Amino acid sequence: MSVAQRRQVRLDTPGLEEAFRQHARFSVAREWQDLPARALFQSVGLTVRDRIVELLLETERRYRQADAKRLYYLSMEFLMGRSLGNNLCNLGLHDAYRDALQKLGTSLDDLEENESDAALGNGGLGRLAACFLDSLATLGMPGFGYGLNYEYGLFKQEIHNGFQVEKPDNWLAKGTPWEFKRPDEACVVPLYGRIEHGQDRHGNYNPMWLDWKVIIGVPYDLPIVGYGGRTVNYLRLYSATSSQDFDMGIFNAGDYLKAVEQKMLSETISKVLYPSDAIESGRELRLIQEYFLVACAIRDIVQRYQEKHKTFQEFPSKIAIQLNDTHPSLAVAELMRLLVDEVELGWDEAWEITRATLGYTNHTLLPEALEKFSVPLLEHVLPRHLQIIYEINRRFLEQVAAARPGDDGRLQRMSLIEESQPKQVRMAHLAIAGSHSVNGVAALHTELLKTSLFADFTALWPERFNNKTNGVTQRRWLLKANPALADLLTRTVGDGWITDLSRLRDLEPHAQERGFQQEFLAVKRANKERLAKVIEETALVTVDPDSLFDVQIKRMHEYKRQLLNVLHIIHEYLCMVEDKQAPLVPKTYIFAGKAAPGYWAAKQIIKLINNVARTINHDRRVGGRLRVVFIPDYRVSLAEVIIPAADLSEQISTAGKEASGTGNMKLAMNGALTIGTLDGANIEIMEEVGADNIFIFGLKAQEVQALRARGAYRPAEYYQRSPLIRRVVDTFRTDVFCPQESGLFGWIYQRILEPGEQYFHLADLESYTAAQEKAAQTYTDRPAWARKAILNVARMEKFSSDRTIAEYARDIWGIRPVV
Amino acid sequence: MDITTEKVGDVTVATIHGENLDASNVSDFKRDVSPLVQANGKLVLDLHHVQFVDSAGCGAILSCVRQWNAVGGEVVLCAVTKPVRALFDLVRFHRILDIVPTREEAAKAFGH
Repeated sequence: MSVAQRRQVRLDTPGLEEAFRQHARFSVAREWQDLPARALFQSVGLTVRDRIVELLLETERRYRQADAKRLYYLSMEFLMGRSLGNNLCNLGLHDAYRDALQKLGTSLDDLEENESDAALGNGGLGRLAACFLDSLATLGMPGFGYGLNYEYGLFKQEIHNGFQVEKPDNWLAKGTPWEFKRPDEACVVPLYGRIEHGQDRHGNYNPMWLDWKVIIGVPYDLPIVGYGGRTVNYLRLYSATSSQDFDMGIFNAGDYLKAVEQKMLSETISKVLYPSDAIESGRELRLIQEYFLVACAIRDIVQRYQEKHKTFQEFPSKIAIQLNDTHPSLAVAELMRLLVDEVELGWDEAWEITRATLGYTNHTLLPEALEKFSVPLLEHVLPRHLQIIYEINRRFLEQVAAARPGDDGRLQRMSLIEESQPKQVRMAHLAIAGSHSVNGVAALHTELLKTSLFADFTALWPERFNNKTNGVTQRRWLLKANPALADLLTRTVGDGWITDLSRLRDLEPHAQERGFQQEFLAVKRANKERLAKVIEETALVTVDPDSLFDVQIKRMHEYKRQLLNVLHIIHEYLCMVEDKQAPLVPKTYIFAGKAAPGYWAAKQIIKLINNVARTINHDRRVGGRLRVVFIPDYRVSLAEVIIPAADLSEQISTAGKEASGTGNMKLAMNGALTIGTLDGANIEIMEEVGADNIFIFGLKAQEVQALRARGAYRPAEYYQRSPLIRRVVDTFRTDVFCPQESGLFGWIYQRILEPGEQYFHLADLESYTAAQEKAAQTYTDRPAWARKAILNVARMEKFSSDRTIAEYARDIWGIRPVV
Repeated sequence: MDITTEKVGDVTVATIHGENLDASNVSDFKRDVSPLVQANGKLVLDLHHVQFVDSAGCGAILSCVRQWNAVGGEVVLCAVTKPVRALFDLVRFHRILDIVPTREEAAKAFGH
């Protein structure tokens, strides 16, 4: 059989069997029956890839023929997770593969476990990017991701004596069937050097960027299969390599080790994903990473454009570039540099093109997460770009001064350069100035951006600011992650929901039906059993699938308030052991999440959860009515097991802190009821599912803001006033949760009682406790609970990333389906 | 790295033989090109073999251009490969001298 023939996979069982055997033999060089597990996965993955290649090429042909406008989504993070199962689902081949493999004595589920998660992201921002790519492909839109091919993704988390221990995640160590290396499309990225100020032949100022070093960016394409297999886009990830295998000058001089060292330094750039909240520790490398992505992407985008177009007038009508947070905001300076220095456009024309092409999505209101780079660092690494940023700023401040004469305070606040010591470049300001659209990711978040963080910019350019509430793809988070529920939904309302989530509205009449409720609860029960097994294997705790599964799964951060959850658990525990008052229903509190390695408090909270778990789970007085588990190594594939099994979804951030959240959407889509604050997209979830079908508590964002502004939050007053709060908080003055580690949690007592404590734990504890009681009370009425859960699933239309992408496409990018 | 030269009318054409012009061979380049300087002369650097130029290579070309300009001469670059052109554009070489596709066009470029 020729190679060409082998590429055509017949989709019946004998055809697939033959394809598996062929790849085992010709790609892995083994007989099928001798394949170790990982090679088995590789062989099967390659047969899927064969199918995808045809569709990828066909899609590109279609886009070219239409000369379609393309969207490039620049993101430092793409949290893709595993691809085999998702690709099979989207190709409609899942059942065919399952059957063919079964016939050969292999389980598809087991096979999927051999795929490493592509953990190229920290959390919501990266997973959002992955969901967006799925929706773009499913909607048949020419939209492509550009990111970095980190050799090490987000660290693997182990728990040793309750503490998080980070281990490297070399996700590519065993290879992947999905990546296509494209060395012929490599590009050159300059760094460092100096500017020589000279004149061109016409006597004009001609700054020449000299003495740089170059890094080579080699692209790898990961195909993104849209549902139905009609469209396959790609995610292009760049790896850094040295400009030569060795620096020849050094090599010839005989210093072999130094040459190798320089090669390794170049390759460091795409070596490791920075954990969020840890970026401070390596500013120069992080800056270089961000520039490396931007330089490779812009070069590639421009080259593709130039294949069909001679001038740049049409650039914004053919290209849209979205900046996922400020991380790729150097794109403003890089596109300007390319247009002005290389294409020789005038500044004004280049600026118009740049602004019309770029859009910026803000993802955070946390001041500490707003990126800044020092002017000396930028001058050292990217001297030409600093010049360009200064020129952008000069012209921008002229515009501000003209609009608001005499308002020096405003000029200082809005400047791209913060006049600190040393001076800092404000990357968010650069992104806003250089984009035609600035969006927040939930209605409240956008409102807060407009009224607080970027109020000056909103006053200047109100038309630029808009909201695009986040969404998640129902293909990954329902069809793939929860096949039993997906099957029930399809049997009930048809399969239209897979590409049009509004079709789940047809479930509403069934929410009351006892028979449907029972089927729905049976699916949930089976998913809880599956999760219980995972918990037993990984956290070594036995849990009862009939208990209420209360789930908080997300990055560990003080604003997300895992600590508030723990405070309530301690309250319930104390009620049991001191007041002899058991919770209304047996409960299992499930946590999972990683803390940034340098974030001490977040790591301490992991330790606290584990210690509280150990104490409660081993206390005979509790008698199994309360269980606490921390499942290690939270990642996409683990989320796919936890989310379908959740009863209650903890979304309890301090109001005004969480931009949107997307875990809240995934959980509600899988029939978990939300217990949450009026923060981020929780507000919109409440609007959609109805206030009766969600448990809302706590201060509102404006109340938090007002307390903060007046300096009026005094946690000690809550402590004095409430015996409940006092009893819980006082446990941290004792060693009840750390009998072998005396005083370990004393800091929590200090921290949450500090005047003005910024996450308002104690202000919300009593109302949180009341909401928890209400949730437990509701859970005792199984039909009522089922009805609410079904209505949550039925009313999730707004939170499909298909809706989000359709809005971005219409309002910001101007792209259309090409089908 | 070898450099061969030939005269085409009043133009000196220097062809660089070698895939790289970088720190390892810029001294060879300078050694071979410097003696070619002529008052009011015309030099074409034919770079069609060169696939990679590092910043030292760019620096060497720049210094060559300045040597010629200092005595009233002119330099034109021709047959620059795509990856090298990208680096020249980065430095803004095209603002200080002509970069043309072929030798024939190089000859025409003189006398601006």
